[in-house]
Amino acid sequence: MNRNMNADLAAVDGRRRLNMDKLLTIICFVLLFIIVIIPIFMIIYNAFFFEGTFSIDLFKEQLTADKNLSAMWNTLKIALFATILGTIMGVFYAWLLGRSDIPAKGLMRALFNIPYMFPPFLGAMAWDLLLNGRSGYLNRFLMTTFGLSKMPFNINSIAGIVFVEVSYYFPFVFLQVVSALERMDPTLEESARIAGAKQGTVIRRITLPLVKPAISAGALLILTTSLAHFGVPSILGYAQGIYTLPTRIYAVIYNSGGSFEGIRQGAALSVMLVAVVALALVLQNKILSTGNYDIIKGKSMRPTLIKLRGAKAPLFLVAIFTLILIVFVPLVMIVLISFIKAYGLPLTPGNFTIAQYLKVFKAGGTLDSIKNSLIVSITAGVVCMFLGTLVAYVVQKIKPKGKEALEVISVLPYSIPGTVLSIGVILAWSGNLGITLYNTLWIILVAYMARYLSFSMKTSSAALLQVHSSLEEAARVCGASHSESLADITLPLIRPAMVSGFFLIFLPAMREVTTSILLYGPYTRTLGVQIYSLRDAGMIPQAAALATVAIGLIIILNAIVTQITKDRKGV
Amino acid sequence: MANVRFENITIKYGNHTVLSNFSLEVESGQIMCLVGPSGCGKTTLVRALLGLVKPETGTITVGDRCLFDAAKRVNVPAEKRNIGIVFQDYAVWPHMTVIENVSYPLKKQRRPKSEIRQRAMHVLEQVHMVDYINHLPGQLSGGQQQRVAIGRALVTNSDVVVLDEPITNLDAKLREEMLIEIRMIQQRLGATILYVTHDQHSALQLCDKMAIMRQDGSLSQYGTDEDIILRPADRFTFEFIGVSNFIPITRQGNELYLDCGELIPYPGLPADSEGKEMGVRLNDVVFDHDSPVKAKVISRVFLGSENSYFLKLGERDIRVQQSMLDARTLGTVEEGETIGLRFLNPHFYSKKEANPA
Repeated sequence: MNRNMNADLAAVDGRRRLNMDKLLTIICFVLLFIIVIIPIFMIIYNAFFFEGTFSIDLFKEQLTADKNLSAMWNTLKIALFATILGTIMGVFYAWLLGRSDIPAKGLMRALFNIPYMFPPFLGAMAWDLLLNGRSGYLNRFLMTTFGLSKMPFNINSIAGIVFVEVSYYFPFVFLQVVSALERMDPTLEESARIAGAKQGTVIRRITLPLVKPAISAGALLILTTSLAHFGVPSILGYAQGIYTLPTRIYAVIYNSGGSFEGIRQGAALSVMLVAVVALALVLQNKILSTGNYDIIKGKSMRPTLIKLRGAKAPLFLVAIFTLILIVFVPLVMIVLISFIKAYGLPLTPGNFTIAQYLKVFKAGGTLDSIKNSLIVSITAGVVCMFLGTLVAYVVQKIKPKGKEALEVISVLPYSIPGTVLSIGVILAWSGNLGITLYNTLWIILVAYMARYLSFSMKTSSAALLQVHSSLEEAARVCGASHSESLADITLPLIRPAMVSGFFLIFLPAMREVTTSILLYGPYTRTLGVQIYSLRDAGMIPQAAALATVAIGLIIILNAIVTQITKDRKGV
Repeated sequence: MANVRFENITIKYGNHTVLSNFSLEVESGQIMCLVGPSGCGKTTLVRALLGLVKPETGTITVGDRCLFDAAKRVNVPAEKRNIGIVFQDYAVWPHMTVIENVSYPLKKQRRPKSEIRQRAMHVLEQVHMVDYINHLPGQLSGGQQQRVAIGRALVTNSDVVVLDEPITNLDAKLREEMLIEIRMIQQRLGATILYVTHDQHSALQLCDKMAIMRQDGSLSQYGTDEDIILRPADRFTFEFIGVSNFIPITRQGNELYLDCGELIPYPGLPADSEGKEMGVRLNDVVFDHDSPVKAKVISRVFLGSENSYFLKLGERDIRVQQSMLDARTLGTVEEGETIGLRFLNPHFYSKKEANPA
């Protein structure tokens, strides 16, 4: 059939096929240019150029200001300690739960995952309520109980910030190392034992070096996240005048009332922050650079468990204590405070009420903030799911010239701090380029898209690598056009990955505060911003009530995700 | 029915030229086996035929239909070429059931539903997969997946079907069965089949014609299997298609000798064979007590349908395959015995260059 096809028609057809690939590639570049390149460019431009001429004065001025220098110093100190302590804690618990015969492993692992999905700034809020240097509940309790003359703890300090960050960031290392330990070939350790090495030697000489890449990957994640983190230092540090670069950027812009000068100063500080992050990455690379080991296999094995014997009971107690401290205490505190009549009253049943919930939901902003967060998170999730898949497809399958650039551009926004990204977005989309999105939900959406694009890009990329090109080619040869083969073969095969990409974006976007705190307008508060501003305005029980609702929402959404991803058929 | 013609095909990946001015014809209604070592460009040629790779030069025609012509800028897209293909890794779509897989090409031709069902079932019958129509490929064995792939390639009654190493992943018994199956299906449908493999045994079993490709992507020989085996065009084909012994020939005085560390006279060496090597297949070495060429038996291994011998001729190792028929009529020899050798059907080739491809 079709044998006498007109040769010219065929030729035209042949060229059109080429063009579809080209079209996808061009769309990719254009969208990434708009979403990523323009905001980043605007930051750099505004930090160094003033009214069209190059000037390094602003930058110098910001760099030498005492307040900024101390903020930079604080940022580094907090990040360094959080990374070191978080890594030690993560590795220790990964080993304990992955390799020892400690009881209740499954339950403990599930509980250790909670800090991972819990917004750290809510944890900071809870600890502030407990250990605030002036009025913390636990502090006052300890004072009266032990007759102390001053508050024993002060969470509003560098140490306090480090403590809260560690309790939320150690899962980065924990999760990485636990999975590496599980995928490690147990015969490697067994052969060392057979060769005569003692248990301690095996851990030191065999196990640790083998999981070193996993440790350093997790540590890197803690380091960059902490450097860029806004929530915890802003809640705990503000009152004491402890600033980090991200909170300093926020303060500069907030104090200037959103004036252009303030944003420009913010841009200069952003460049500093990015430089610090970049420096940290380079240092980390130097210190921890190791080859990757292929010895860790993809298939799952059953490693031999190490008997703790006498140490079992104490270690179990330590683990339980840690769990209570980092998971239950903050959670319970937030919930309790949400029921209190007024902040500061003792936590006795007589002082409990549900009035705070009624107040919060009667206030117009609350429902709107939930609605806003849902709209922006779902939209960002859906758009990124498709855009990320598009980028992944172009990079993995079309492989145009400059695909490396495409990859870097799409991952770039995630490695720059959310605060910095917000400033770029403000500079780009508040009229400077003729488009004004400021004070609309759109500007938050654009920022989320840039920030979270890499999540969906990575999951889709990994899935596409699994789809051998011969599957699509077979469809082409069977008579499907290029777009048909995409729709019939490739997309259905990576659909599960796309769905999990969506949730990877939707969930963090729902609880996000760092980016939207700089972008919200009177009618576009997000859930995170609403909690933050309620607390800022001193309405702490109300903030706690809304936080409780947010936590409930997160738990429900997470349960739904787990259910969905569990049911999906393995392809 | 249609023949397939490649003319002057040149294909490059970057700076690496895979095929250079390659021409080949697959005759209508025949099975042609394209045989060559791994990486010689067989699969690239197939991909060019399918429209998945664009050659730099040349033309590809099927029957009187031009699929590709570099000069006239004709390049029919893959989906319009109507060629059946079984990929080496089957490429059965894992998210579709067996019948969905097989129906897909018909669906893309916008056939009525009843016809699609009927034709899909018919082809599944032919590949013995009717019992599995609602299975997903993940639930099937490798051989079954392969048969689904073959069914999918045959369902549209394409004039040309390409099988790219389709049975390499099967076990020996299933491989045999599939070869017979392919042969029978071809006879029923009369399709032109291009069968690509690096395994000369399955090629010999299946083909009407054979084409042997060299490592560098050039065509060494094209002909019937008999041609290829009995009259190999060059040393490459001779060596590639079977295992052989090679014995250098030197002249001393006026006589030509086999050079086996010591010089062994062998009457009947052609005059122009001086300085060349004599190649003899393992089963072309026969025992002959009258022959002046005496070898010592190092070992004998019984392989079921034949005996495999390791002999020492001078200082040279000689391998011999003796069919059971010969073993019965001529008798076997045992380790340590000495035996006379005769070389049937010898081929004379120049010595190999220092670093052969």
